[in-house]
Amino acid sequence: MKAEPKTILRFLLEHYEVIAELFETQANEGIIPHEVLTQTIAKHESDIRSQLLEYKILSPVNDNYEIRTVYYNLIEFILSEFKPMLPETIEKYHTSIAELFRKIKENINGDKVTLSQRLNDLAIEIRSFYEMVERNTQSLLQETRELKANVKKIDYREKIVRASRWIDEYILPLNKILDINHSASVANKLYEISEYSNKYRLNFDDENSRQQFERLYFQLIQVNDNLLRQSKILTNELLPLIERIRTESIILTGWITFLKNPYKRKVPKLLKRKEVSVYSNETFFNASEIFEQFKNEVDVYFEEDVVDSEKWIFDKDHYTKKLKDNLPVENFFKWCSTTLKEDYKKVEIEKFFALTILAFEEDIERDYGKKAEFDKIKINDLTLTVPKLTIEKQNGIS
Amino acid sequence: MEFPNHHRSIVEDLMAGKFLLPQDRTYQVLKEHEQSYTYFFKASFNYELRLTQDYAYLVSEESQEMLSRDICIFIALLSYELDRDGKNFIERIQFSEFEIEEIENYFTNSAYIDLILSNKQLKDTDSRKNFINTLNRRNIIEKTGDNRFIFTSAHKFFMDFASDIVKYENAEKEE
Repeated sequence: MKAEPKTILRFLLEHYEVIAELFETQANEGIIPHEVLTQTIAKHESDIRSQLLEYKILSPVNDNYEIRTVYYNLIEFILSEFKPMLPETIEKYHTSIAELFRKIKENINGDKVTLSQRLNDLAIEIRSFYEMVERNTQSLLQETRELKANVKKIDYREKIVRASRWIDEYILPLNKILDINHSASVANKLYEISEYSNKYRLNFDDENSRQQFERLYFQLIQVNDNLLRQSKILTNELLPLIERIRTESIILTGWITFLKNPYKRKVPKLLKRKEVSVYSNETFFNASEIFEQFKNEVDVYFEEDVVDSEKWIFDKDHYTKKLKDNLPVENFFKWCSTTLKEDYKKVEIEKFFALTILAFEEDIERDYGKKAEFDKIKINDLTLTVPKLTIEKQNGIS
Repeated sequence: MEFPNHHRSIVEDLMAGKFLLPQDRTYQVLKEHEQSYTYFFKASFNYELRLTQDYAYLVSEESQEMLSRDICIFIALLSYELDRDGKNFIERIQFSEFEIEEIENYFTNSAYIDLILSNKQLKDTDSRKNFINTLNRRNIIEKTGDNRFIFTSAHKFFMDFASDIVKYENAEKEE
């Protein structure tokens, strides 16, 4: 590179607007199309295409361009506009850190210069790992807060999709990387390295290596503390926040969908109130049935049956005399029946009962016999079972 | 035969279509005897007892659909308007007190005004006042003053319904 470092920095400062715009294009599209570069330069009226290439800020990719990684990272850092990285990208540090650590352990008594270089590289890898985790947590937090405030006015369904994707693809895997209790996590590996360095910082024959272990040990204490803080941000702040966005968006999307057609959708079942009431479902019909009866009132006349036969009157004197004349009567009820049959063609039961009262007259003497005996007497269709009663003589009947 | 304490209140309240809430003594008794009560309501009335950590209620085949629909519309509109107003509607409904005046403002200025005017229970101030009393009787809200109320945990019954709409729709799309 021919240009002086100060010249490049001055160039960056002078043309910051153009570079920032190109950075944004690459951040969104992954590349800077040829025509976008031309338009951006024309817009700012500064023909800097050749310097951009000369200072190796841009590199050509086919007909398009991209900002070189070192400048891209610098601008990204200055702007604090990090895109969240997929945890797979961070996971690669597990391999590099574990591999360096393995070699350090295996060759601990080997060449001191190589050991020193490996310890140095390990420190760099650990720092890069931590910086990437921190950037990712911060960018996820920023994106989540933006999503919460809905700065970009995105639709609720899209919100659900984004929130779900961040939880499943970024936050949960990142949390796994930071979980010290998970044996395959990077955090767990760092803890292992920390214990190892602690041992050798105090007890190692080479002074220089001992000091390097000491630095590594203190770096790891700091990194572990920071990782723990990042992990807390993820679980205590980010995860609940994004879960809330997801829940909120799901419920609101549900309500908006419901309100589109509120009368056609099935709704949750609510119990019909059951109260003790004098009314029932049938009350109306029962009541109307009663009222309907009075609706078309018609006069109804009833004619009494004319009784043709004359009313029979019991002639007590006549029958008392007849009984007296026939005394003693051996079977009183049979006598009643026979007597009536002699007088009338048809003997009604009331005539029979009327006649039987003669048996209860005070002035006659009744004999019920020693043993109860019964007779059957037929009056019309009726058969009566009556006791055998003898009227012996009369008491005072004259 | 011995019944648990508060048995009569439990049966009367649930049969009146009320939600029993965790802070009620009746809810605690119901929870302690969940199995017996589930059987009791099934055997006696063919009702299903649903007990969650936020509420308990009865379900029957005979449902008061109209009321349920109106409650859904009411909470849907309120959630929508609170969100439009930049408020966190879930937290607001879950934790804050509402003034009738605030509800009136949201309903009278709502974009869903046609839907509101066509709904008998929500169409005007008086109807809405009666409707809020109905919600109070069912333990969906608790009145904290003449013109103030808070939602009880029973509101989650309806929030779950809204989530289910999206879940079912997504499931249908996947099929």
